[in-house]
Amino acid sequence: MLEPAAIDTVGLSKTYGGKVHALVGLDLRVERGEVFGYLGPNGAGKSTTIRLLLGLIHPTAGRASVFGLDTRTNGVRARGHLGYLPGDLRLSDRLTGREQLESLASLRGSVDRALRDELCARLGVVLERPIRQLSRGNRQKIGLVQAFMHRPELVVLDEPTAGLDPLLQNEVRALLRETAAEGRTIFLSSHSLDEVQHVADRVGIIRAGRLVDVDAVESLRERALRHVTITFAEPADPSQFAGLDGVRVVSTDGAVLRLSAPEPAMDGVVKAAARYRIVDLVSQPADLEEIFLELYREGDDGG
Amino acid sequence: MAAELLRRGLSDHRRALAAWCVGIAAYVALVAAIFPSIESSPDFNKLVESYPDVLKSLFGIAAGGDVTSGAGYLDVELFSLMLPLLVLVLAIGSGARTLAGEEDAGRLELVLSYPLRRRDAVLAKGAAVAAEIVTVCVVVGIAIALLDPLVGLDLALGRLAEALGALAALGLVYGWLALAVGAAWPSRAPAIGVPAAAAAGAYLVSGLHELAGWLDPFRFLSPFWLVGSSPLQSGADARGVLVVVVAAVIVLLAGALLVERRDLETP
Repeated sequence: MLEPAAIDTVGLSKTYGGKVHALVGLDLRVERGEVFGYLGPNGAGKSTTIRLLLGLIHPTAGRASVFGLDTRTNGVRARGHLGYLPGDLRLSDRLTGREQLESLASLRGSVDRALRDELCARLGVVLERPIRQLSRGNRQKIGLVQAFMHRPELVVLDEPTAGLDPLLQNEVRALLRETAAEGRTIFLSSHSLDEVQHVADRVGIIRAGRLVDVDAVESLRERALRHVTITFAEPADPSQFAGLDGVRVVSTDGAVLRLSAPEPAMDGVVKAAARYRIVDLVSQPADLEEIFLELYREGDDGG
Repeated sequence: MAAELLRRGLSDHRRALAAWCVGIAAYVALVAAIFPSIESSPDFNKLVESYPDVLKSLFGIAAGGDVTSGAGYLDVELFSLMLPLLVLVLAIGSGARTLAGEEDAGRLELVLSYPLRRRDAVLAKGAAVAAEIVTVCVVVGIAIALLDPLVGLDLALGRLAEALGALAALGLVYGWLALAVGAAWPSRAPAIGVPAAAAAGAYLVSGLHELAGWLDPFRFLSPFWLVGSSPLQSGADARGVLVVVVAAVIVLLAGALLVERRDLETP
């Protein structure tokens, strides 16, 4: 008998009012110990998927299970294995951070207090002030602590580093990696590839309610285009770059050359550019929407 | 674990509840303070006697009732309208806020992602609403009992307890209706509107069914009629109070079942 996966969905669908297809036929399996990145633009169906997993909404069709526990018929036990950070976290404004965490701990029933205190110290949670006085980032920290404080087998995080400064983003990534190293599972939803690529093993891409692609994060990054802007000391010949595999020259403006290139072509781009005197070179990851466009273009070519 | 929601509910509303208790106790004290001057004007009964029948029946002025007695005076001034009104506003507000209000504010999402059954959450919140209603009724009772010897109301304490029981039953049925409507539909507006409209209708049926004959068959549906309209003078209808409490429990259980079926709304 196969050990049940951390997350297993079969034909999971959610339709609102008979016409808004928030999620269409999702078949997804996330193994134990995996960090799974769930990527998509806003409104693509990421939060709908998560809320179905938590039993907050009920599927129109299909089913979802967490560690083999059906989220609909066995939701309470399923949620017992879960820690959840909502994308739009709303806490009790009048409570202090300590009171809020204490209240949530009582609601949970069993919490590892030592772990909770350690998490609070690690993230620098403000415990003694009313939550209404806290910044977005400081509220987010409380949300993170409550998601981890009972050492859940599966942590579901909806945009976890939103509002956090870069140092804390790193701390959270480290926390995610440690959690995965202990064999626990992380389901990480985000609209930014940047947020998931450093921690996720696999990435699923969802768009308009449909899972477009599931891939190892490396291969996704390889396909993801970079926007490269090179400023030369004097105008360079763009054809030198246009000939490289996968590279497209977007514009030439005097000595400034703009092109898009996938990661494997970057070496060729830099070496071609090195023949000239370079004033500046900027390479930026393309945003997710462009990766989608790229995926669709590939799909069209194949189909 | 769901007990935490009871504790949280009470704790979140404790300031508002304290303000309600102080306000209602002050109102009761004011009404009681006027009693000696009513008692000493025997013409008052004649004045009341000359009121139109509609007013008399709405204010629970029973034929042969004596509004210059302590019991009759408080029945008319407090128990026929003002106290039920105040307790219902508190009960409906609390019942609507604790679930529908929390959902509207987006705070239910995290709570319901925890391993507890939704129906247990509804029942725990129902217990918190009930505790608030009972608290206010007890405060009213204590206030009246303390004022009684000071202004010479000369009440029977047993009747006072009956009157407060009837008051609490009214609060319970509409407070839990607000909670149950919020459990069935994800919005605060119907959670306030439905019980408020139901209470207004039931109050009118109770007050006017004798005058408007076509309303008469509906009186059995009115919690106000069921518990009795002049509890301090003639006692509350114990069976009626029981019926209202049972109805309240059924409404709450219906809410607890309906909440499982629906989707949680995002704000």
